[in-house]
Amino acid sequence: MTNAVQTKNDLINVTIHGRGGQGAITASNLLCECAFRAGFKDVLDIPKIGAERRGAPIQGFVRLSRVNEIKMYTGVRNADYTLVFDYTLLDIPSVVSSLSGIVLVNAPEFVNLDCIDPNLDVWIVDATGISMNNGLLIAGFPILNTLILGAFAKMTGMYSLDIIKDVYKARFGKNWEKNYIAAEQAYKSVKKVGRKI
Amino acid sequence: MTKVESEFEGVHLLKGNFAAAYAARAARVQVVTAFPITPQTLIVEKISDLVDSGKMNCEFIRMESEHSVMAALVGASIAGARTYTGTSGQGLLYMAEPVHWAAGTRLPMVMSIASRGIAPPWNIWADFSDVMSQRDSGWLIQLNSTHQEIYDSVLMGYKITEDPEVMLPLMAAYGGFILSHTSKPVDMPPQSEIDSFLPEIPEKGWDHIFLDADRPMMHGALVMPGDFYQEFRMKIHLAQLRAKEKIKVVTKEFKEKFGRDYGNGLFYEYKTSDAEYIMINYGEIAKQMELTIDTLRNEGYNVGMINLRTYRPFPSEELIEKVKHAKILGVVDRATAFGSPTGGPVSSDVRAALQTSSETRNLSIIPFINGLGGRDVFPEEQREQFEILFHVLDKGEYPKNKDLMHATYWTGTIDRRST
Repeated sequence: MTNAVQTKNDLINVTIHGRGGQGAITASNLLCECAFRAGFKDVLDIPKIGAERRGAPIQGFVRLSRVNEIKMYTGVRNADYTLVFDYTLLDIPSVVSSLSGIVLVNAPEFVNLDCIDPNLDVWIVDATGISMNNGLLIAGFPILNTLILGAFAKMTGMYSLDIIKDVYKARFGKNWEKNYIAAEQAYKSVKKVGRKI
Repeated sequence: MTKVESEFEGVHLLKGNFAAAYAARAARVQVVTAFPITPQTLIVEKISDLVDSGKMNCEFIRMESEHSVMAALVGASIAGARTYTGTSGQGLLYMAEPVHWAAGTRLPMVMSIASRGIAPPWNIWADFSDVMSQRDSGWLIQLNSTHQEIYDSVLMGYKITEDPEVMLPLMAAYGGFILSHTSKPVDMPPQSEIDSFLPEIPEKGWDHIFLDADRPMMHGALVMPGDFYQEFRMKIHLAQLRAKEKIKVVTKEFKEKFGRDYGNGLFYEYKTSDAEYIMINYGEIAKQMELTIDTLRNEGYNVGMINLRTYRPFPSEELIEKVKHAKILGVVDRATAFGSPTGGPVSSDVRAALQTSSETRNLSIIPFINGLGGRDVFPEEQREQFEILFHVLDKGEYPKNKDLMHATYWTGTIDRRST
């Protein structure tokens, strides 16, 4: 897990940290759809479902394979990419210690990310801000997953904005455009954070 | 992008439960009875959606309990309908009484089981103790390892159960959440090909039982000890044994038509032909064990695996044939059979079956229990299981530093010394 962007590897493992209600489970599924349309041979999304409720920390995993059948059904350890849907999750020691690979955090720029291992590449996107600016709300809560997948596309080059458009059209019917526009903004604004080592 | 994609044909990412629901639709089931229970609920929710939106033509009946689900399904099947439902764990236990009724009445239904641990304590994750509890019910019991197999097993299921030589219901089980709620690409054949693969549903009901005013028949009668009770039981057992051949034939036809290979239908092998160490395993952790076998083969170990697809009828003779050249055998259960000779249901059966042949009678068989209640089984743990086989064969003794209970290894157990 030492190289930076690992999109040439056959098997790619992703861990998603979110809070119940933020759409992390749906994100794992949409990520599989995007990767599958982008030509990956096999994909598997693994939501860690239990008795969660809104706001509780939850995890989802994704395995993507370019060539071989995926046979690993367990949760992911040592992910190639870790997505953090909410920077307040970084207050939880077990979340911080599980970060690996390239980390994407939904956080505004002023947030201090020093708790993250300085050897890890970290990218940030203010998905919450973009979502609120676009009025992308469900029951008052900002939608995050569709935006973070836009940021992830830029960060990894794994699939294009056109693929995101196709997946959202198929999935969200008439609501696809709002989600897509926000995803495009996230795509354009995600950036790598300078780390002090 | 003008081509209209069908939701029901071609390759789509599907959760295991949706694969089951789509297969039921593809099999043109006529009656589905439903009661929600995690992790099966998505099956009947999806079917409910499909029926409501006019995409599936069947009678969908919401019941007040799993017991009623099966009771109503028995009624529908007696009336000659192709029937389907799904359940899990505690729901299957509550359903148990009419489950036996369905087999005793020789009704050809298919039921998907998203297997979960039996409570208490409450548990909703992968554990096959629920289906194993129905081992002696007379149902054919199959265990699925992949999302595609969930879909395919439902289709093959109707062709097996509706065969006049079989006429027994079939349950196909897969790990709760680990397959039921994860998604993978599933290839769904065109409806016309499925239609030509499946038997036609007889217009006037099944040959042996029907609801028809022109052909009055008494149902649910009592038989005295001197009447046919014992003979009925013999016939169920005979039909189970005949089902083995039928499963083989249908699996072969399925492969010829759709190109997907499930071995002889009773199990499929992974690198067993020259293997000295053979593991018998089932469910998704068997599929995953192929990775460990590849690793060990690269290191020079002659290891292989039999992935058990059909637990009832139990493939005794077929198994003997495939393992008789092995030097040692392991059997992995993701289920418990408390107080049985090994603690695991499949390992107890394997031991009993291999006793029947002089070629396998002296084979060492090491039972394993792992992954109960959905606990992750990582490749390291599967490797540890093989290493126990190596140790027993090479040193002639059981390694002691493990959770060994009455000659069965419970792997992946929380280390009690450190907690």
